[in-house]
Amino acid sequence: MNSLWGIVFKKELKDLFRDKKTVITSIILPLVLFPIIFGLMGKSAKSSVEKVTKEVKIAYVGEDNSLKKFLASAPNIKIINSKDYQEDVKKGDVYLAVVVGDRFEEKLSQDKMADIKIIYDSDSGDSQTAMSVVRDMINAYKEEVVKNRLLSKGIDVSILNPIEIKDEPLKKEKANEGALVLNMLLPLYLLIYAVTGPMAAAIDLGAGEKERGTLEPLLTTQASRMQLLFGKLCAISVMGIIGTTSSLTGLMIAFKNSPDFFGSANLSLSVGSIALIGLTAIVLNMIFASVELAVSIYAKSFKEAQTYLTPITVVGMIAAYGTFMLDVKNASIMLFNVPLVNIALILKEFIIGVYNPLHISITFAWAIVYILASILFARYMFSREDVIFRT
Amino acid sequence: MIEVMGLTKKFKEVTAVDNISFKVNKGEIVGLLGENGAGKTTTLRMISTMLKPSLGTAKICDLDLIKNPDEVRKKIGILFGGEVGLYDRLTARENIKYFADLGGLSNEEANRNIDMLAEMLDMKEYIDRRVGKFSRGMKQKVAIARAIVHNPEVMLFDEPTIGLDVSSSAIVQDFILDCKKRQRAIVFSSHSMREVEKLCDRVVIINKGKLVYEGTVEDLKNENNGEDLERVFLRMVGGKNE
Ligand SMILES: Nc1ncnc2c1ncn2[C@@H]1O[C@H](COP(=O)(O)OP(=O)(O)OP(=O)(O)O)[C@@H](O)[C@H]1O
Ligand SMILES: [Mg+2]
Repeated sequence: MNSLWGIVFKKELKDLFRDKKTVITSIILPLVLFPIIFGLMGKSAKSSVEKVTKEVKIAYVGEDNSLKKFLASAPNIKIINSKDYQEDVKKGDVYLAVVVGDRFEEKLSQDKMADIKIIYDSDSGDSQTAMSVVRDMINAYKEEVVKNRLLSKGIDVSILNPIEIKDEPLKKEKANEGALVLNMLLPLYLLIYAVTGPMAAAIDLGAGEKERGTLEPLLTTQASRMQLLFGKLCAISVMGIIGTTSSLTGLMIAFKNSPDFFGSANLSLSVGSIALIGLTAIVLNMIFASVELAVSIYAKSFKEAQTYLTPITVVGMIAAYGTFMLDVKNASIMLFNVPLVNIALILKEFIIGVYNPLHISITFAWAIVYILASILFARYMFSREDVIFRT
Repeated sequence: MIEVMGLTKKFKEVTAVDNISFKVNKGEIVGLLGENGAGKTTTLRMISTMLKPSLGTAKICDLDLIKNPDEVRKKIGILFGGEVGLYDRLTARENIKYFADLGGLSNEEANRNIDMLAEMLDMKEYIDRRVGKFSRGMKQKVAIARAIVHNPEVMLFDEPTIGLDVSSSAIVQDFILDCKKRQRAIVFSSHSMREVEKLCDRVVIINKGKLVYEGTVEDLKNENNGEDLERVFLRMVGGKNE
């Protein structure tokens, strides 16, 4: 790589990689951020449920009977003596209180209906978790009572269950669930990453060069403006792609590590899909890299570049969120001609394993047009004397 | 070596440089003298092919800068402005090497030149350190080395001592004199007659884009009977001395 643009490319990458700020914000942070956030959220949600189900502390109010024995027999239920059960539930000393009605056991033995009240705190997640545990126990007790009543009358228990429903999901159902999640999130993330990933590098290599005063000597070297531009553009795109890769890797680690948080959605994609999605991500990064470089060259300073790039970020975000709910199955062919929307749609197709040659060629043809147009735009900016020497 | 022929630059309504012609020979330092906004930077930018002249042209080593900008760029080195722009995260060597590479030098050539320059400018001990924390004087030397690493025959200096302290200015001035010794053709812009008097063989005075004087410093002195040249200069540019 001894061509002049290659020299520019290598130097710019070296320079960018030596910038701690760039490396941390665009490579390291995205890699660890998602795993840490989701890890913590997942852990706290999980541990709270675990804590409650391990030892369900309840208050029992009323006669000492077989229900109490039945509840106490469960290894994870602990009955705590309570003087004021309302207060104790409120304070969280017990998760809930079981209050049995008068003559409970007697009514049951006479085939009558007995009643139970469960006092719980509807604002407390722990209380509700305990509620479901206790309810299950009482239901089991209830079934026991019913069984005994029927038996004493010589009737089989199955009379209560004339129809048994077995629900059996299609085997691929789970994969689809994962595809659904991916379908909404992946295009969104890829768009956002493609907007934000190349930005720091674009600002540094465009406006930064002006602000440092290195542009003038650079323009009197053998490198033509197109070579300078192309070297810079490639370096910025590489930074963007690295950013996307590390963000996605972070996201994948988060998915894998915190299944409690994401559910057990199966995120399997075919190799072909992954390759096409990767290609699309690269193209997407190049589009934004060239637009951002052009804007950055136009700007006088870092600050100005940041100001001008804000609207571009907003456009990217709007496109990203706009495609969030877009359903690719009902998308008209027209939509494949709308910038960014077409890329989001094609990504959604790749995720569900649809490879429509017409859609792919329309979208990629447009992508090439966008890239060429923004390179020409950047070149135009770079050739304008009043832009290069703006003071 | 340098032959400027009727260079003119118009920015919309403003004519920044208006039909200027002068010559610079080998081993000669020509001072381009003018007040703020006179058109010095614009002239030097045109000679260095960064700006396209609206009219006229210049020949550098017999190469026309309009027909042959790439070849012209091989022949010139520039040191513009007091602010030395360097890449802070690269070492001094890497900064210089980048420009050597972009100047089309082979690796051996580039390294040989850099070692030589490091010796000459006395920067061996910090040549492999990142320039971010360098002092002004150290940075100045790196910028100088960068400007001549490709052995240009023509050197263009645009107010190279502006904003520099005495010792950094001295580094630059010594370097300019050294270039002269090596038979380079040098254009050196300044708004200080003192500096021009000290360094230059000939002087070109421009005012509002127009050439108002061209001749040797000696002649200028003789013509004005030994009057202080600073006063002569002020008179030529209209005497707005506030
Ligand atoms: N890119 C540009 N666009 C429009 N006008 C410009 C541009 N560059 C310079 N000018 C104008 O041209 C004139 C000459 O400017 P120039 O920078 O060449 O002067 P100078 O002699 O270098 O001044 P100084 O001593 O301040 O550096 C000024 O009036 C300036 O405003
Ligand atoms: Mg100037």
